[in-house]
Amino acid sequence: MNRALLYLWWTLLRRRCSRFCRGLRRPPTLIACLWVLGIVGCLFYYRGSEAFGRMIRRDVLVGGILIMILGSIIKGFLQRGLAFESPDIEFVFTSPFTQRQILLYRLLPQYLYAAIQGIVFGALFAPHLRHPVLAAVCVTLFQVACFHLAMAAAVWGGAVSDRLHYRLRWMMLGTSFVLTALYFRVAWEVDFVPACLRSPLVQLAFYPAMTPSDVTTSAWLRGWLAGLARTGDVSAPTFLEPVLWLAGFGLAAALSLWWLLRLKASVFEPALSTTTRRAEARLRAIQGRPGVAAVARARSARLPRFPLFQGVGALVWRNLMAVRRSRKDLLAAFAFVGIYSTMLIALLWKFHQYVARAPMTPGSDAPEVSLSFHLGVAIFIAALAFFLQRLFPFDFRRDGNHVVGFRTLPVSPLAMVLAEVSVPTFLVLVSQAVGLVPLLIFGRFPWPLLLPLLLSYPAIALALNSLWNLHYLLTAARQAEAASPVGTLMVVVFSFLVFFPAIWTAQRLCHFLSGPQALPLAISTGLAIQIGIDVLMILALAGLFQRFEVSRNTRANAL
Amino acid sequence: MSSITIETAPHAPSPGPARTSLFAKLTNVLAYPGDVFAEVASAPPRLRNIFIPTLLVGVAGVLSAGAIGGDDPAAAAVAATGTAAAQVVIAARLRLLSALVTVLAVFIGTGWSALVLWGIGRVFLKVRFSYWKAVEVMALTGGIVIFGTVFAALLGILTDDANARPALSLLVGRLPADHAVRVAFGVFNLFHVWATAVLAIGLSKLSGVSFKESAFWVFGYWLLMKLALVVLA
Repeated sequence: MNRALLYLWWTLLRRRCSRFCRGLRRPPTLIACLWVLGIVGCLFYYRGSEAFGRMIRRDVLVGGILIMILGSIIKGFLQRGLAFESPDIEFVFTSPFTQRQILLYRLLPQYLYAAIQGIVFGALFAPHLRHPVLAAVCVTLFQVACFHLAMAAAVWGGAVSDRLHYRLRWMMLGTSFVLTALYFRVAWEVDFVPACLRSPLVQLAFYPAMTPSDVTTSAWLRGWLAGLARTGDVSAPTFLEPVLWLAGFGLAAALSLWWLLRLKASVFEPALSTTTRRAEARLRAIQGRPGVAAVARARSARLPRFPLFQGVGALVWRNLMAVRRSRKDLLAAFAFVGIYSTMLIALLWKFHQYVARAPMTPGSDAPEVSLSFHLGVAIFIAALAFFLQRLFPFDFRRDGNHVVGFRTLPVSPLAMVLAEVSVPTFLVLVSQAVGLVPLLIFGRFPWPLLLPLLLSYPAIALALNSLWNLHYLLTAARQAEAASPVGTLMVVVFSFLVFFPAIWTAQRLCHFLSGPQALPLAISTGLAIQIGIDVLMILALAGLFQRFEVSRNTRANAL
Repeated sequence: MSSITIETAPHAPSPGPARTSLFAKLTNVLAYPGDVFAEVASAPPRLRNIFIPTLLVGVAGVLSAGAIGGDDPAAAAVAATGTAAAQVVIAARLRLLSALVTVLAVFIGTGWSALVLWGIGRVFLKVRFSYWKAVEVMALTGGIVIFGTVFAALLGILTDDANARPALSLLVGRLPADHAVRVAFGVFNLFHVWATAVLAIGLSKLSGVSFKESAFWVFGYWLLMKLALVVLA
């Protein structure tokens, strides 16, 4: 090993480590790192468990060895040549290093990885091993051997012709499949070959490498033929029925594809205009602008006279106008709400029909069951807010272009935020009311329970709205063009977590308290906590909105 | 100085492979499969070349099954039911049905395997040729199947073993027919390997690739898949 290359590797390793440590300042990296550490810590804590012992049984180890060897060879072969970093190509390739030295330089990070893997293996499985150190060293060396195999396969794969590589790739795939299936068959008694493929009839698939007289030696076919000869009953055997169904639908799919491919109409011209239209609509959605149709049909509306719509209330009026002009979105949302609520109302109706038919006996638990059922329906109605969030984005999410402009208005950030989130919250509550009104009629909740129950709906809707707006403003503050999928996933996760403190407290209280007032008290406490969280989120939204720098953003736009 | 001019004859179209009869094709496929398939590749597909050899294979299968016989629980069950006259009728029906199924199976096998051959050309070799040409190649390879079936029937009569085949399984003939070793050895059937090699020649003629290339894919499917099924089952 050349000392210069060793130094280069060491320097690069140190730089990567320091970059990684600096990256921990970013919350997503830190969370991911803590997550991995937490999992490893958890595994280490439970390393004495029987499950770990089962993981190092001979069968499992043989499977692992098989996977590692096959995986290494296939990975290397598919890579076709060694992959270096671009600076390596410029520096290492042009320097007076031999091929062996370069290969060893490339292997150094992999050796380090193998050593870490061996240590982790030894630490986790030590309680179940007679010689943990020896086992860890063997694992390390085996991993090293796998890296060598992968590198050799990569080097060799890069040297063979394209045609041979193509053939060998398929051969490897076939061999790997057979070996894996054989392993599962021998070690775990898992059979990948269905019983029907053991019949002599399968020889048909290998015509002409078959003997035609063997075809009718299949036991079930002979049985069926004998039955047919005796009774004349031509009903298909049970095996054939699913095959016929499959063949029928397969034929339908194939015929429809054949018809589709034979269509003479031009694909390109209509596709071009449709693609352009879709791309424009997507861009408008990202930028928070209304659709083309909405702009074209938009008519002037009279200015509001109602005092609520004066001052910062003008924003509420403006968002209500946006709602009025987004008829297509509203229609889709109300169709969804209609289906959802109809299902719940039907459920309520059916439940009360059954209750009316059942004889009421004194001392039965029917009132508790009824209350639990109605509370369940109430929770389902509350869950509607989760789905409606994306359908009613008439807040900061639709005002993407104007957020910086809003900072110039003479209103406080808190009032601005309240005005923005009020319209979607109101729409969600109206939608929930469709299912809520029948529930209140059928449910006949006691008053101490009814009040916190009703108040919990605005709290839930406000929390979800605030969360989505927080996410939007955070994305906008970073001047990202669109929310990343990871960010959206995080918001979805937080949409559930934001209710965790309130639900947890209510649950604990309900567990500790007893008597008829336990449930109302627990729900009221949970509601109070949720309202507190809502207030904190609104304040966070206001703070975030205040952080928008008008001068900086306008300068950036001008540039 | 007088100039010398050379007059050349007008360019005549190169003569394709000589047209041969179906019987000649079926016999030539045993000795000169390359010539037969070159002719198939250059001529339009003919239904006669597909239908008659496939039917002959089916008939050979039916005849050899009757000649070898062997233990048949279904036939035994039939023999134990009803009156003597009814038994005769039922046994005749069973033979007829078995024969029909054998012939039908040979036609299905031909269609399916032609599809496999055509698919190999289309997907792996990236060459287009008519599906019906693949069917024709498959049907003409039936000459070897007929030969193999007759050979197997004679071997069965000779050894008094209905499961005797011209394969490595002859070496372990004392083992039961469903024994794993005997089944695995049975894969290496002389006629099966021959037919597969002839198919590889047919594919190379249809697709225009080398024999080595087509043999890789054809043997990969026919022999390795069969071996894999035997090992895994």
